[in-house]
Amino acid sequence: MVSEPAVTESAPARDARPADRSKAAPRGHGGDPAPGRRRGARPWPPPGRGYRAFRVINAIILALVAVAVLFPFLNVLAQSFSSERYINAGQVSLWPRGLNVTTYEHVLSDPLFWSNYRNTVFYTVTATAVAMAVTTCYAYVLSKPHLRGRKALVGIAVFTMFFNGGIIPNYVLVSFLHLRDTVWAIALPNAINVFNLLVMKSFFENMPPELEEAAAVDGMDTYRILWRIVLPLSKAVIATMTLFYAVMFWNSWFAAFLYMDNQGLFSVTVYLRNIVDSVTSVSNGQLAAGTQVQIAANIQAVTVVLVAVPILFIYPFIQRYFVSGVTLGAVKG
Amino acid sequence: MHQPSRRRFLAGTGAGAAALALAACSNAPTSSSAPAGSQSGGMKNFGVGTQFKAAAPLTFTIAMLSNPAYPYNANWPFFKYLKQMTNVSFNPTVIPFADYNTKIAALVNGGQAPMIIPKVYPGEEDQYVAGGAILPVSDYVHLMPNFQDKVAKWNLAGDLDQRRQSNGKYYLLPSLLQSVWQDYSLAARADILDKLSIPTPGTWTGVQSMMLAMKHAYPHNYPLSDRFNQPTPGGAFLNILSAAYGTAAGWGYQAPSNGAYWDASSSAFVFAGTMPQYKAMVTFVNEMYNQGLIDPESFTQADAIALQKLTSGKSFVISDNAQGVVTDQAALPSGQTIVKLPLPAGPLGKTLAQNASGRISSGGGVMISSKALSSPNFTAMLQFIDWLYYSDAGQLFAKWGVQGVTYTGSVADGTFKLEPDVTWAGLNPAGTKKLNATYGFSNGVFSTYTGSTQLLDSQFPAAELAFQKGMASWALSPLAPPAPLTTTQQQSATLTGTTLMSTVQSQTLQFILGKRPLSQWDQYVSEVNSQGASRFVSTYNQAYSTYKQQHG
Repeated sequence: MVSEPAVTESAPARDARPADRSKAAPRGHGGDPAPGRRRGARPWPPPGRGYRAFRVINAIILALVAVAVLFPFLNVLAQSFSSERYINAGQVSLWPRGLNVTTYEHVLSDPLFWSNYRNTVFYTVTATAVAMAVTTCYAYVLSKPHLRGRKALVGIAVFTMFFNGGIIPNYVLVSFLHLRDTVWAIALPNAINVFNLLVMKSFFENMPPELEEAAAVDGMDTYRILWRIVLPLSKAVIATMTLFYAVMFWNSWFAAFLYMDNQGLFSVTVYLRNIVDSVTSVSNGQLAAGTQVQIAANIQAVTVVLVAVPILFIYPFIQRYFVSGVTLGAVKG
Repeated sequence: MHQPSRRRFLAGTGAGAAALALAACSNAPTSSSAPAGSQSGGMKNFGVGTQFKAAAPLTFTIAMLSNPAYPYNANWPFFKYLKQMTNVSFNPTVIPFADYNTKIAALVNGGQAPMIIPKVYPGEEDQYVAGGAILPVSDYVHLMPNFQDKVAKWNLAGDLDQRRQSNGKYYLLPSLLQSVWQDYSLAARADILDKLSIPTPGTWTGVQSMMLAMKHAYPHNYPLSDRFNQPTPGGAFLNILSAAYGTAAGWGYQAPSNGAYWDASSSAFVFAGTMPQYKAMVTFVNEMYNQGLIDPESFTQADAIALQKLTSGKSFVISDNAQGVVTDQAALPSGQTIVKLPLPAGPLGKTLAQNASGRISSGGGVMISSKALSSPNFTAMLQFIDWLYYSDAGQLFAKWGVQGVTYTGSVADGTFKLEPDVTWAGLNPAGTKKLNATYGFSNGVFSTYTGSTQLLDSQFPAAELAFQKGMASWALSPLAPPAPLTTTQQQSATLTGTTLMSTVQSQTLQFILGKRPLSQWDQYVSEVNSQGASRFVSTYNQAYSTYKQQHG
C-alpha cells in the first residue's frame, strides 16, 4: 500500500490532538443551537424562578421573531389567492380576499416559467453535486495536520472571502473559458463556499483518528478511507452542507442572469426577479412609458410562492441531520 | 477614432473595467470613414423613403431586452415580417428587463458586446466612451439618410449637440421626437371634481384651490398623497413643478447633471438648489403642506402605498402618466374615475422646460459596438438601423405592425385603427391578441415613444389625445448648450455633485415639511456653497466655454 507509511507516520501527532481540539471546535461552529442537549447533560443554570422567567421571556421573544418571519410569507400566500383589486387597496393580510386561482393557472401555463423552473432544478442539482464533491475533498485534505502547506491552502481559501475580482473580470474569465451558456458558469465559480469549507474541515478534524488508523492498518488507501470510513460517518455534515448549497444555488439568480444569453437558459429566480423588480424600477423616470411594465401584484405573489415552496419542503427532511450536524462535537470531551 | 489617454481611461471605468476594455480597444479603427470591404450586403442607392433590403441574408447580434409584460419570443411575427422586408435576422443576447444595464456594462466592458445595443438612455453611454468599445457613431451618420433627414427637418441638431463628448463626437443614436412630449402630470379623481363642481385646474394655483376645495369637503383626508419617489423623493411631482418655476428638482435633479442648470437669462450654468426660483417653489409646496393638502408621507412612501391610499379613497390626487392612468382606473372601485389633469402652468406660464436632453430623451437610443466596424456588413447594418429606427416606414412597422394584420387604415390620414381583436395599452381592451406579447410589435427594443407627432398621437386613447392637444399651445424654453466634461472633470463633478444633491434633497424635504423654517433659507444657501456648489457649477461653465472654443 502506497499510502500506508504516511498514515502510520502521522499517528503520533494525531494522538496528541483530540483533547484540545474538541474543546475549541464547537465554538468554531458559530451559533449554538443546542441548549437543550447541554442542559440535559449538566443543568446550568439550575432551574429556579429566575430561570423559568427567562424561559418564558425567551419563548415570547422567539415567538415574536417567528411571527415577524412568517407574516410576510403568509401575506404573500394570501395575496397569491386574492384578486388584484383587494391587493391594490391593501386589504389583504393573512387571509385571501376575492378568492382567485386563475392567476395560478395563468402562471402555470407560461412555458417560459416551466423551462426556467426545470433549469433551476438542473442547475441546483448539478451545482450542489459539484460543490459537495469539491468542498468535501478540499475540507478533508485540510483536516489532515500532516499535510504540507496546509496553512497556505487555508489562507488561499480565506483570501477569497475578503477579496474578489469583481463582476467584469469574472465575466471575462468565464467567457474566456467558454463557460457562458452552460451550467458550469453557475456551478464552477461558486463551487467552494469558504464558510462551508471551514465548517466541514473542523468536522473532519473532530473525527477520532483511531478509526482511520485502524482502516489504514487493515490496508485501505486514503481514497478508500475517505469513501468507506469517513463519509459514511459524516452524514450529518454532508446533509447540512448539501442543504446550504442547495438553498444557495436555488436562490441565486445573478450567475444565471450574467452568464446566460438565452432566456431558455435562465433560472426561475431570474424570471421571478424580472417580474418583481420591473414594477419598482418603472418609477425611475428614465424608463419612459414605452417600456412601462405593470405586472399584476397577484402574479408576483403567485410566482414568489411557486419558487419558494419546493425549497421549503427540503428543510423538514434534512432538519434532523441539520441540528446534529452543526452541533456535532459539542458533547465530546 | 479617438484613442483615450491612459489617465482618462483608468479614471473612466475603474481599474478592473478598464483593463478589460483594453481588449475591446484593440479593434478600434483609426480612420473614420467606413472601411473598405464593409459594403457587403448594403444598398448603393439607399435614401429617405427607400425600403432597405440586404442583398444577401444578414444576421446581426443584438442586445434584446426581455420585458416581463411581453417576454422575448423568437417566433414573433415581427421577426418574420422583418426578415421578409429587409433580409435581416438577429442573433440576440436576451437580457431581463430588471438588470439590463448591469448586463450591458458587463458585455461592453468584457469585450463581448453585441453589434447593436438598443435601449440606452442619453447619458448612459458616457461611461463607455473612454473604454473605446462603443463606436463614435457621429462619424458614420452620413450612411444614415433617414436619421439625418429627421435631425434636419425637426431641427434637432441642438439637442444632438448635448450628447457630444469633449472630443466633439457622440456615441449614441438617440430616439428623435418631432415635438417635446410631456407624459407625466397630476391626475385627479374626476368624480370628486364633478361632485364638488371644481373646474379642471390649468395652473398650479388652480391645483392649490382644487385641493383646498377637496380638503374643505373631506377635512380628514390629504388630497395629495404622491408616488414616484424613487430614486429621488417627490421625483415626478417636483420635476413638473420645478419646470413650471424654471428650475430643476425631483427627477430633473439627478445625475448626470446633478443640478447644474442652464440659466438662459445669464447664459451660464447655475446651481439649481439655490436659485430664487427654487426657493419660490419650495415656499409654494410648504404653503400647500401647511394647509393640509399634502400627505406628510407623500414624497417618501412607496408607490404601492400611494396607490392604496388613492384606491381606498384616502387621497384624490396623484402623479401619473398616460399608461399609469389606464392601470389606476382599473384598480379603482367602480363609480370612481381618474383623469390626467392638463399640465399645470406656473410662474413661467405655458412654457415647457426642456430637460437636459429635450426631444431626444424619452425613448432609449442605440449604441453600436466598435467591433461592428470590422464587419463586412457594417454599411448594411447602419442602413438597416437607419431604416428600422428612423424611417417613417420602419417606425410605423415597429410600432403598429402590418396593415391588414394588426391594424387597418393609415396613420397619415388619421384613419388608423388597431384590428378589433388586437389590444395594446388601453386600446381595444377586450382584444385577445396582444400587439406586443403576441406579435412582437410596440416592443421597446425596436419602437419607442418617438417619431412624428402624428405617429405618437395615433397611439393614444381619446383622453390622452386631448391632453396632448392641450400641450400643443405650450412654448419651449431654450436648450442648454453642450458642456461635455472631461473624465477628470466628470469625476470631481460627480463627487461634489452627489454630496450636494443629497444635501439639497434632504433640505428641500425639511423646508417643505416645515421641519426647517424658510427663514433659514440664506443659512441653507451658505451651507450648500460651503460644500462646493460654486466650484461644481464653474466646472460646467468651464466645460461649456472650452467646448465652444474648440467646436464652435
